[in-house]
Amino acid sequence: MIKSLIITHGNLGHELIQVAEKILEQKLAIKAIAFDWQGDGSDMIAQLEKFIADNKGHKIVIFTDMFGGSPSNIATRFINKNVEVLSGINLPGLLKFFCYEEKSKNFMETIKIVEQGAIEGINIISEYLGEKK
Amino acid sequence: MIEKTQIIINKLGLHARAAAKLSHLANMFNANIYLIYNEDKVNAKSLLGILTLAASVGNEIILQASGDDEQEAITAISDLFNRKFDEES
Repeated sequence: MIKSLIITHGNLGHELIQVAEKILEQKLAIKAIAFDWQGDGSDMIAQLEKFIADNKGHKIVIFTDMFGGSPSNIATRFINKNVEVLSGINLPGLLKFFCYEEKSKNFMETIKIVEQGAIEGINIISEYLGEKK
Repeated sequence: MIEKTQIIINKLGLHARAAAKLSHLANMFNANIYLIYNEDKVNAKSLLGILTLAASVGNEIILQASGDDEQEAITAISDLFNRKFDEES
């Protein structure tokens, strides 16, 4: 099982999880960490270190809200063969992860599928529907 | 392979929670199950796939299943549609 956490500016991650749980009607095994606006990131680093230590032996995916932002930059420091970061997570991506993760055998394949789901969830609707017509 | 025409009768159509229930149910069957709406055909076991149909109340879709439990799958899924995804009294 892939362990997951989402780290974001403010409570974005908590809110995304709550909405995903409402849609899927189940409690999701994911932890959210909010970036402390007043801090220097050291608290987030400590929480990430603890999460990774607590889940030693597991593959871990860290979802972040925006590439280049502090949460994403901090998470990037932890990338290794067992830890990957996916930036720009959105609701479709998060739903894809929880719908697909159980069936998945391959860590990186799962992350690529989540990335694809997140990207495909962004559409200019009139153009999308126009193409469909 | 069997098919059944199904009219969407719940007010909100195939929205997120309905799509989640539908994909969850579809995943309980071995059969390959598809939803066909206009010219689009999506895997009923994929939540995000179902959402791409953007199908609304009153729309007619085709349920298609093939596999050893295809009949049970179509019956169960059709029942979910007819129960309005258990979201309306």
